[in-house]
Amino acid sequence: MLETIKLSKSFKGKKAVQDVNLYLDSGESVGLLGPNGAGKSTTISMISSLIKPTAGEIKLNGVNIINNPEQIRRILGVVPQELALYEALSAYENLKFFGSIYKIRGNELDKSIQRALEIVGLQDRQKDLVKTFSGGMKRRVNIAAALLHHPKILILDEPTVGIDPQSRNHILETVRMLNKNEGTTVMYTSHYMEEVEQLCDRLYIMDHGEIIASGTKGELLSILSTEDTIKVQLSKMDDRFVTQVKSIEGVRKVEAANTNLKIIAKKGINLVSELVYLSEQHHIQLINFHTENPSLEDVFLHLTGRTLRD
Amino acid sequence: MGNFIKKDLLIFWRDRKELITVLILPILLVIILNFAFAGLLGKDTESNLDLNLAVVNQDNATDSLEKLKEKLVNEGLVGEGEANVFVEQASHLDPVSMLLNYLDSDELKGLVTIHELGEEEAITKVEDGDLDGILIIPDGFTVESLYAAFVGEAPTKSLEFKMEKETNNTSILFDIVQGFTDQLNYQFALQEMDALENEVTLPTGGVEKVGAGESFTLTQYFTTAMGALFALFLASTVGTKTGLEIRQKVFNRILLTNSNPILFLIGKMVSTFCLTWLQIMFIFVFSHFILDVFPGRTVSFWFGVIGIASLLSLAIAGLAALFTSISLRVRNIDAANGIFMLVILLFGTIGGGFVPIYVLPDWLQQIGEWTPNGISLVMVTKWIQFEDLSNIFTPGLLLIGIFLLFTLLSFALYPKRGEA
Ligand SMILES: Nc1ncnc2c1ncn2[C@@H]1O[C@H](COP(=O)(O)OP(=O)(O)O)[C@@H](O)[C@H]1O
Ligand SMILES: [Mg+2]
Repeated sequence: MLETIKLSKSFKGKKAVQDVNLYLDSGESVGLLGPNGAGKSTTISMISSLIKPTAGEIKLNGVNIINNPEQIRRILGVVPQELALYEALSAYENLKFFGSIYKIRGNELDKSIQRALEIVGLQDRQKDLVKTFSGGMKRRVNIAAALLHHPKILILDEPTVGIDPQSRNHILETVRMLNKNEGTTVMYTSHYMEEVEQLCDRLYIMDHGEIIASGTKGELLSILSTEDTIKVQLSKMDDRFVTQVKSIEGVRKVEAANTNLKIIAKKGINLVSELVYLSEQHHIQLINFHTENPSLEDVFLHLTGRTLRD
Repeated sequence: MGNFIKKDLLIFWRDRKELITVLILPILLVIILNFAFAGLLGKDTESNLDLNLAVVNQDNATDSLEKLKEKLVNEGLVGEGEANVFVEQASHLDPVSMLLNYLDSDELKGLVTIHELGEEEAITKVEDGDLDGILIIPDGFTVESLYAAFVGEAPTKSLEFKMEKETNNTSILFDIVQGFTDQLNYQFALQEMDALENEVTLPTGGVEKVGAGESFTLTQYFTTAMGALFALFLASTVGTKTGLEIRQKVFNRILLTNSNPILFLIGKMVSTFCLTWLQIMFIFVFSHFILDVFPGRTVSFWFGVIGIASLLSLAIAGLAALFTSISLRVRNIDAANGIFMLVILLFGTIGGGFVPIYVLPDWLQQIGEWTPNGISLVMVTKWIQFEDLSNIFTPGLLLIGIFLLFTLLSFALYPKRGEA
């Protein structure tokens, strides 16, 4: 139902988003994954008509809406990355104001507010000022404000940044419920792999303003089908040892942290005997050794040579 | 629309610190200033502040009317006959005796004692510390003042005030003399107008009317000046709060909807208007109840005050709109706030919010009369004295003009969608 074609945005000549093609089908839950500065928020701002693209198209049911965004504004709910709330007002007052600018009035507005508060689980705190809320509760009000006009498409921009695990689970649960039970189409942006894995049917991986991979989790993991991820725990760390592991034939990447090594290597090479040999030479014991199923994190590492949190 | 206004008012209401600043602080200042100056002028003076002023009259009044007529005829301004008529009428208007009457008036009795002396003697006595100051009426003062009134120019001879050194006492004396000069100029201005329009007929009632005007007290000045000054602060507060709405990204939420973003700006204007109006009325009414600022004034006087407060609120609403647009435009909100404060302090100073305007240089005073607070100060001053609508009509239009100008500018600067 929603589609972007070669969507691009430059800020003063600097490219923030470049040739992004993505689509959302009705009822889907799609993840947009990428490190900070990848261009996720900029993409969302363009889709939600806050900023004009430098080039490209945004189509809603096949119609380019860049110059007529009224249509999409009506059916789109956006949860911005920053809290967009009046701290001096109560949760209820915030929702009342934000609902009213969607031209929802009177009884209907009150019902919408109570429904949104119920969804995010804040009905009993609605009379309290937002500034007295915890970070997680504020995030939940931030989400509620995007639900008042019953949007068909909900875009959430990193809605769980910097909050406690309990609130985080609550939010993830809320989004899942909206998608599965209410049929809301969801686009979920994050730089937390686990969230996107849990929540989304399909995902896009973004880096440096470009989409570098897309597909279902399985499809993305198959990118790594030619590789194994091996985790090794050592009795002590030794730089020369690491250097020698890197030079083993078939090893593509080695990451060292404390006494742990993460090795990405071509499938099928006999890494074990090489490692045992090298560790004896350096008087290092191998405490633990196992081959891991690759994660999306590994996919990102494979594609960019960096981890998501860098 | 209503939702935008309600939101702004609600946010303002929640900010108790701000509320106290704009409502309580000005009243507190009026009270403090009032008592600080009352110590100097008020109660003490009734007993014995007793300023001693030497008046040295060097003007030979007996032949001044002759000289005036001669001057008018010689300069070919009027014929003999007309000159006679003017001189006849001017004879009722002797500036020197007006000055002496003024210094001897009930208001000033017990405050100033007049000593009519020769110049030498006066100087010695001031130097000895027996007297506080000398007022010299220069030779030809009467002729020059009346002549100036006739041709409508500033008189070439003015009263001279001398003192040994500047003290509180001497500055009070100076204020008194200044007060007279202002009054004199005002009377002559009236006279000049009539002289031109009615072919040199002096209004018989003109002078008396002015004489009957209420005086403008220091407390009234403080009340008005503080009211106008803090109204200005309110405009900058509104700008600052907009800055917060940008920082908190709530403005973006408005852009996400199909509501016209200009409603945000109009909402700011209306809410600022309401807040400013309430603020000014609050200051006037409470100062009045606490200090009896406007004793015995009629209902129609208070209606005038309400009218002036409304016009000032309108101008302030325009200013707040301009600040709002600027806030939405700039990258650095703190810099914008700094600029707002600067504008407010500038308007406040040259509009007479901090110091009486006459201590400023002339050109600044003239600019100051174009600031919203300066204009409203002038309006209130005139309204208190004469309670005559024709006096405040033009400055009232000026306030509306300022409102329109600021509003136009703010609409022009208001970011289009996608720009903010
Ligand atoms: N308004 C802007 N002006 C200039 N540069 C911007 C602006 N917004 C974003 N950028 C730049 O665009 C890039 C992408 O930013 P963003 O979309 O916020 O990334 P993400 O949301 O993935 O963290 C970054 O390099 C950022 O510095
Ligand atoms: Mg972002």
